[in-house]
Amino acid sequence: MTSVREINQLARVEGHGRVQLMQQDGRVVGARLELYESLRLFEALVVGRRFDELPEIVCRICSICSTVHKVAALQAVETGLGIVASPQTVLLRQLAVQGGQIESHALHLYCLALPDYLGCGGFPGLARLVPTELHQGLSIKALGNRIQELVGGRAIHPFNLLLGGLGTVPTAEQLAQLADELLAIQGAALATVELVAGLQESLPLLPALPGCAVTGGPSLFGDRLTTTDGQQVAAAGAHTWLDEQLTSYSHAKLSNFGGKGPYLAGPLARLNLAIPCEPAAQAALHRFNTRIINGTLSASHLARAIELVQAIERSGRLIDELLQNGIRPEQPVIPEQFAGSATALIEAPRGLLLHQYTFDGDGRCTGAQVVTPTAINQAAMAASLTSLVDRLAGNSVSEVKVQAERLVRCFDPCISCAVH
Amino acid sequence: MSRPRLAIAGLTACSGCQLSLLNCEAELPLLLERIEFQFFPLACSPVRIEGCYDAALVEGCCSTAHEAELLRELRDHSRLLIALGTCAAWGGVATLRNDTPRKELRRQVYGRHPLPDDDVPRPLSAIVKVDAVVTGCPPEKHELLALLGDLLRGNLPVRGTAPVCTDCRMRENLCLLQERGMLCLGPLTLGGCAARCPSLGVPCEGCRGPAPEANVAEALELYCQNGFDAMTVTGRLRRFCPEWNHDQRA
Repeated sequence: MTSVREINQLARVEGHGRVQLMQQDGRVVGARLELYESLRLFEALVVGRRFDELPEIVCRICSICSTVHKVAALQAVETGLGIVASPQTVLLRQLAVQGGQIESHALHLYCLALPDYLGCGGFPGLARLVPTELHQGLSIKALGNRIQELVGGRAIHPFNLLLGGLGTVPTAEQLAQLADELLAIQGAALATVELVAGLQESLPLLPALPGCAVTGGPSLFGDRLTTTDGQQVAAAGAHTWLDEQLTSYSHAKLSNFGGKGPYLAGPLARLNLAIPCEPAAQAALHRFNTRIINGTLSASHLARAIELVQAIERSGRLIDELLQNGIRPEQPVIPEQFAGSATALIEAPRGLLLHQYTFDGDGRCTGAQVVTPTAINQAAMAASLTSLVDRLAGNSVSEVKVQAERLVRCFDPCISCAVH
Repeated sequence: MSRPRLAIAGLTACSGCQLSLLNCEAELPLLLERIEFQFFPLACSPVRIEGCYDAALVEGCCSTAHEAELLRELRDHSRLLIALGTCAAWGGVATLRNDTPRKELRRQVYGRHPLPDDDVPRPLSAIVKVDAVVTGCPPEKHELLALLGDLLRGNLPVRGTAPVCTDCRMRENLCLLQERGMLCLGPLTLGGCAARCPSLGVPCEGCRGPAPEANVAEALELYCQNGFDAMTVTGRLRRFCPEWNHDQRA
């Protein structure tokens, strides 16, 4: 007889999801991830709104990823309406996105994932067991937020990032101080790699999955989707390639990749695509190459830690470039045409993010599509859960439950994003 | 002294109000000494409502039966229930198109695919009694810390009444509406944010909801003088608060 037992709401993930375990004669025979987040309907909410309102509204899809949603939306609207942002604006946006990457990765590694390895329920337990490490993680996280605050005006929902430019450009002094702080935190980021590399993994080894990520631009930016098995898709074709389907059990659309998937999005996929890294990150990657390249899912946390080093170095590099060019106050560029459509691709902390908009002659939105990394990762999560159940055949239901929840956390899911 | 027990939960929202609390990185260790985070699914496992909470801090608006059930359960288990952030207090961006039938919006995104029923998103006060409100999208860190301080002392937070314009005056900012001709919602929006956006030259988007002390008639007159009609202004104000109307508040 088959019965179903569900893991109540997943803890230590953003948003609302659960795993259902299908049982037969007391053994777990299947598992299913259900993202039951309430319907957000952002793609309908923005219809009829003016082009300049869109980035302000859609960044509210998610708080952890609000900067990257904002930048993705700005890029899509600008491309559609023929606005070209200044090189200074482009660099500052890249800096803000790296800040978001730092904050998100530090939050996930230290507050959401680490408790799994130390046998506690969350940051209150960490404060008791490993106060020094928690402090280290929170310091890194705080710096990620300071970057977003300086460039975006606020750590969450960065209002200073505008269409065609910025409200106020940060001063050279502010940026120089940030560069000092970034340099000072690098040791903590390298220590994070050591910490994560040394964690005792209890998840069984699961088959490695092919990955997909944005390439063709500077770190986390680009104009095409590339896969580890050699496919390349231009931004305009990415939505079709991802091939979103509806399911009966999840409120997030599921990427079906034309039946050729699943593909993994996120840190492990990015590192496997050999996208160039900054020196210290490259050295860390080289050291742990055997665990990362074609690595299994449990290497996701290590990949995330290496990316933390990368984002900190890259932020410093971006500030150097900005200061070398000389900081200038600039007025945002205003569009001259109001009709158009475009697709923007970008890497959010959890993986590939797509924003696509169409505007009529008055600059009002007539259509919107957003594909988020957690929606893309749903198929990979499902495949991995199935493998996990196979590997753990014979284990108790409670043991499978614990491991299933840990497995889902390897993806660092962002369910508000997925059900946008 | 026993530490107050808190429940922190999110409904239909972006988790930004809860993340704002986790963004108090420097203060978190001290908060842990004073407060017990008993139910906090975003950051702590297991997810189980049990016993009594001194306060439940709830983010987001309510748009499903499941959320309403959770909200009522939290209300039943908590001495105080605080609406955390603009979605919980006013509805927020999820309510942007509450004037369009939900069915139609769902069809635009999911086609005719069958999905479980949901409701028109509403603020928490439409479902349960709310003891206090902290607004903002997201709320300011200092407001969250002040809220926790108030709860520790057994008080409820004092609600601000003055509009963002007051904050702007204090910072001696240029008036974006009158001197730059920008559609700044500062005159009608609740202050307390130190005029975060106008201080960087970005007009207030009204994320903190209506200010009780705003002079609505005067402000609308000012918008007209600067070339913005009432419909445009109202449309913007309803981005975060669907119930916004032209009534005088104070």
